[in-house]
Amino acid sequence: MTFKRMLRIITAWIVVLTFFFPIYYWTTVAFKNAKEIFDVPPRILDFTPTLANFEKVFGISFGFGFGSQATVTPGGGNFYMAPRLWDTIVVAVGSTLGAVVIATLAAYALSRIRFRGRHQFVAWVLSTRMMPPVAVAVPMFFIYKEFRLLDTYIGVILIHTIMNLPLAVLLLKSFFDDIPHEIDESAMIDGSTRWQIFVRLILPMSRGGIAATAVLCFIFSWTEFLFVLTLTQTGLKTVPVVSSSFVTSIGTAWGNMAALGAASIIPAFIFILLVQKHLVRGLTMGSLKQ
Amino acid sequence: MDSLKKQYLAQVTDKYVKGEIGRRSFLRNAAKLGLGVGALAYGMTGRPFLKTALASDLKPSSDVMSWLRDVGKPFAGTTLKLATESTPPSNAIATQLKQYFEEASGIRIEIEVLPLEQVLQKLTLDVASSLGTYDLYYIDQSWAASFSRDVFDPREQYADNSDLAMPNYNMDDFLPALVDGIAKYEDRWVGVPYDIPIFIMIYRKDIYEKLGLQAPKTLDQLYQNSRAITEEMGPSMYGTSGQMKSGHYSLECDWTAWLWGHGGSIFGPDGKFTGNDSAGLAAMDYWTKLEKTMPPGVHGWTWDGQGQSVAQGVAASMLSWGEFFPYFDDPNSTKVSGLCEAVVPPNPISLRTVSQTGYGEIPGVGHQGGSSLAVSRYSKNVDAAWIFMQWATCADTQALITALGGGTGPTRTSVYDDPRVKANARVGAGTTRHLDVVRETIASHMGSEPDLPEWAEISSDTIPVALGKYFAGDYSSPKALMDDVKKQVDSIIEG
Repeated sequence: MTFKRMLRIITAWIVVLTFFFPIYYWTTVAFKNAKEIFDVPPRILDFTPTLANFEKVFGISFGFGFGSQATVTPGGGNFYMAPRLWDTIVVAVGSTLGAVVIATLAAYALSRIRFRGRHQFVAWVLSTRMMPPVAVAVPMFFIYKEFRLLDTYIGVILIHTIMNLPLAVLLLKSFFDDIPHEIDESAMIDGSTRWQIFVRLILPMSRGGIAATAVLCFIFSWTEFLFVLTLTQTGLKTVPVVSSSFVTSIGTAWGNMAALGAASIIPAFIFILLVQKHLVRGLTMGSLKQ
Repeated sequence: MDSLKKQYLAQVTDKYVKGEIGRRSFLRNAAKLGLGVGALAYGMTGRPFLKTALASDLKPSSDVMSWLRDVGKPFAGTTLKLATESTPPSNAIATQLKQYFEEASGIRIEIEVLPLEQVLQKLTLDVASSLGTYDLYYIDQSWAASFSRDVFDPREQYADNSDLAMPNYNMDDFLPALVDGIAKYEDRWVGVPYDIPIFIMIYRKDIYEKLGLQAPKTLDQLYQNSRAITEEMGPSMYGTSGQMKSGHYSLECDWTAWLWGHGGSIFGPDGKFTGNDSAGLAAMDYWTKLEKTMPPGVHGWTWDGQGQSVAQGVAASMLSWGEFFPYFDDPNSTKVSGLCEAVVPPNPISLRTVSQTGYGEIPGVGHQGGSSLAVSRYSKNVDAAWIFMQWATCADTQALITALGGGTGPTRTSVYDDPRVKANARVGAGTTRHLDVVRETIASHMGSEPDLPEWAEISSDTIPVALGKYFAGDYSSPKALMDDVKKQVDSIIEG
């Protein structure tokens, strides 16, 4: 093994460990009892694992039931969060589906159909991402109140879909642009309609791009904080917002927060694994133009 | 088993668990209660047994339930909303007590638990829109002035709605000092006092005894004790701890305790900032000295880190929120269960009177936090919300909150003497053995922040940011710091 190769491997391990260690440490906090969490020096490997934090957050002994858990810890709150994880999954999947479906149609139109002001339209789509979300949050609160969308799944899914649409449209447009126009033209000569070309040719060919877009939309929705905080009350909450409720007036329930955090990685991880084979290709596919 | 028996059993058990009495003596004492061998199991298992036994007895009074059934009928089916910080009273209501209210009254209550700054955001939005998305407001004492016109004065509600008034609700039972410090702005009550975190002195009795120290009665003793511990036992143990995170409200809380304790005040009678006078500078000198006896991480800690530093055995004392004490006694969560003692805050070097300060500021080393509960003027369900508010803050519910919610300080005089609360005055999670100290601190040592609409900004941003910069070395001296703070604060008030 050459020195260069050795150096490359060592560097790769350092990079991987740098990214992996915080996740590992956070996960160990979820399995530690309250006394061990603050041990100095920190216990990296030699701790007594416990499921107590998961028990409180997910009610394991209740078979992951979705009922209410009437327990109160001294000074602490009700940290039963299984329904909140479910809320997060519903919102992330719903908004990802919404954004990808709408963005695919819009991006194809922008890529293939020539109409007046097309370039300005693309610039306008991009500009909607430039406005800071906090500037929109308060007006959205008023609109939602008027339309009775506050504190509803459909309301949060809608705002996340709107939030993700510009990025999804631009990303998918670049993927569609990479598919040679000659394919469309040949199909048209063979008698296919625009819709048939889109469904039977373009969509299957851009699976990688759609998967990459879906992953990004999913992650943005999974981690979004501001809109969920502003537009929900007691009906639903997603993991990022509900994580802050572990901060109580007499301190932070770190073990419970870590348990929810560690568990909330799993659905996102599964989603990414499912589309992984498309992901790398998709992420690089749009980077080169013909 | 009545409460006195329980209290006696709890004391005897504490002694047995701590090894102060033997098994024979424990059984003899238990036999006096007619418990015999069964008590041994209690002694062995300790807290869980007590918890279960108490929990089964802790039910709302039948009078209160009967009133709820009568008065709630016309409002059955109404849903109320409350956004609140995760505090012991709110948590006890949300998880254990609201079921009783809902069953009896037919009124549903939805409680949204959020960190304090998010509660403020929600309330501000609700007030700005006048939409009444929340029927009840949880109002931190520092926001009282800002929301004073957006809520009903509970005295008026009580007088104007005799049909809905809870019998024996007794507004005079609220500790007068808390009404002034938490719930009053000018001549109005901005709700009723709901919870009361207040600075008390908590110290490690074992360490103090080991080094031959006495619980600090003066600020100088606190410094001398802390220095002695840090020199003797550091770096594994430090004399005291702080909540000194730059830019955080907690840093301002610490500052006021030292400022008031040195005879200073935030404002003078003319409404101008006075933290830069000689008393203010003496306080900064003291704090700068004391900070050297604290653990190195103290500049990154709010009350959370400060509490953990004592809970995990890194610091031997803290002048901080009394709500921590029941947590420290929890053997499952901390390393100091049974080792801490509570005393009133050290005596001040001198103390200004209220008339020597501005905006109703009350100097005192026992910095008082806390919140009030009020009915929103924008609520569409004012009467139902008023019923809930009376129930949530009546003496019976407060006693249950204190017993179930982990020894939080009650805001009513009568609750401190309630047998259900007294019964929990033993070592263990959710203890109430510190409540006598809390009560005395409220009566004789309480310091309360000024009430002015700009206070939320000044206390949560202007002052803690400048103090953080000082401890980071950005100011050449305490005088340079305080002169700069004066300039900023006076300019905010002048608009």
